[in-house]
Amino acid sequence: MDIKIDVKHLNLFYAEKQALHDVSISLQSHQTTALIGPSGCGKSSFLRCLNRMNDIIPSARCEGQVILDGEDIYARSVDVVEVRTRVGMVFQKPNPFPRSIFENVAYGPRIHGLFKSKADLNDIVEGSLTRAALFNEVKDRLHQPATRLSGGQQQRLCIARAIAVNPEVILMDEPCSALDPIATAKVEELIDDLREKFTIVIVTHNLQQAARVSQKTAFFHSGYLVEEGETGALFTTPQDERTQGYITGRYG
Amino acid sequence: MRRTLKFRRFKERLFQGAGLFSLCLALLFLGGILGDIAYKGYSAFITTEIEAGTATPDLLNAHASHSPETNRWITANSDVDMYVKKGYKGNLTPPQLQAIKSLEETGHIRKAFNWGFFTHSDSQESELAGIWGGLYGSLLTLIVTFLTAFPLGVGTAIYLEEFAPKNRLTNLIEANINNLAAVPSILFGLLGLVFFIQILGLPRPSALVGGLTLGLMSLPVIVVATRSALSTVPQTLKEAALGLGATPLQVLFHHVFPTALPGIMTGVILSLARALGETAPLLLIGMVAFIALPPEHFLDPATVLPVQIFNWSRSSEMGFIENTSGAILVLLFVLALLNGIAVVIRKKFEA
Repeated sequence: MDIKIDVKHLNLFYAEKQALHDVSISLQSHQTTALIGPSGCGKSSFLRCLNRMNDIIPSARCEGQVILDGEDIYARSVDVVEVRTRVGMVFQKPNPFPRSIFENVAYGPRIHGLFKSKADLNDIVEGSLTRAALFNEVKDRLHQPATRLSGGQQQRLCIARAIAVNPEVILMDEPCSALDPIATAKVEELIDDLREKFTIVIVTHNLQQAARVSQKTAFFHSGYLVEEGETGALFTTPQDERTQGYITGRYG
Repeated sequence: MRRTLKFRRFKERLFQGAGLFSLCLALLFLGGILGDIAYKGYSAFITTEIEAGTATPDLLNAHASHSPETNRWITANSDVDMYVKKGYKGNLTPPQLQAIKSLEETGHIRKAFNWGFFTHSDSQESELAGIWGGLYGSLLTLIVTFLTAFPLGVGTAIYLEEFAPKNRLTNLIEANINNLAAVPSILFGLLGLVFFIQILGLPRPSALVGGLTLGLMSLPVIVVATRSALSTVPQTLKEAALGLGATPLQVLFHHVFPTALPGIMTGVILSLARALGETAPLLLIGMVAFIALPPEHFLDPATVLPVQIFNWSRSSEMGFIENTSGAILVLLFVLALLNGIAVVIRKKFEA
């Protein structure tokens, strides 16, 4: 297996407070890696380091390396816009733009100039919506406001929007926490399909979800990466007693 | 428990009652003021006219004798006007009163809508004085105010809210902008006098200087309003765009600014409405001079509507008292219109 993202000795600080301590992990391409851990353990902060989303927080400071295909994304020569184009993100709460469904998906291709003609753009939008398993539900109302969709549809729209710019990695920050069980099932199914084309990193509070969708799982606790490994192995034979405690529900 | 509950309920009713009472009191005052102005001012929109060739020049307006009127109906002078409209005899002599009576009997005198009040500029004669000069001066002044305060204010707000580092210097600037919004307007007049007239040497009572001065006054208000509009744009929206690889500038112009625009426009319109009603700073920069012609361009001597009201209000002549109230009604109407537009914009984009 190829290594898509290699994180080496990552430390993250919010002002004086250290949020991540010396995290090193390798993320395999075309796999889904789940990040689990109790609230405030740093898993979301870690995820946001992978596309430099922490840059927008003025007090945040990052040390160490995040190597994407052999290049450190924190190197001076790397433009953050390029990083975020290659590493897309889906957020905890569905956050469609207050525009039409079509425009939501078309926005990324538009700002990056990814199409040559109107027909090209239509193909990208249709393709992205289809891959996000949403096209059949919205094909008759592509030009209606995206905010009229249900929560689950909005989240799949956000996934379609993220894949429309053709990223290599998709980061998902608790994508199902605001969704009902049926919508969650649809998104989970989608994650499994997307793995063929993209590398996926997902933060989740839901251990069953982590077990269902991921091949690798990493357990975070108070800013430390405690344990990582094959999902099946980590859930059945955890090596660390903190991991054991968390997955058996003793705390978290 | 039941005893204290009764007492708590009593306090609640007392509080509501006090609120209702103060609301009624405020409405009463407002109604009183508006009613008084409307009662005094409505007659400014009506004028008395005499048919040409049926009356001696002493009943006609001051300019009728040396500027030959081609119209059939000629505006009467203010004494006649007051007598016909309200029955005040004023300076009219018994023969003049007799003449008016006979004109009334033969139908050669009439009350008509006072178009001149809207199309004439200021005049020494109350029957000929109108608000056009002030209205047009206000328009030119507001254009200058908008052109300076809008781009500067919105630009400052965008920089402070979206780009500026949060440090001691920006905190200081922020606190000072908030304080500036509360500075008495007359101080901005002093600033305009010193800076625009003494230092830059711009022509004195012009719409340009007035507009720049009011622009300085509106600037902090627009900055504060724009910043609060920008700060209501959800962080999740910005993150969504950033996550797709939009640059901060694209995030600003594609998402943040359009989302905040209704709030920004509301703030801008309200601050322009305040500038429109402002008098004190304009007195200091000399816009209080008597100006009988509407300004032709931004450097011409000009006055504005509230200053014209101020000028008229200093006269004791009946005709000017009426004109004062009439002009106030027009100013209130324009202000209500601007505020109404602001409300409509807000409602339209909130939905």
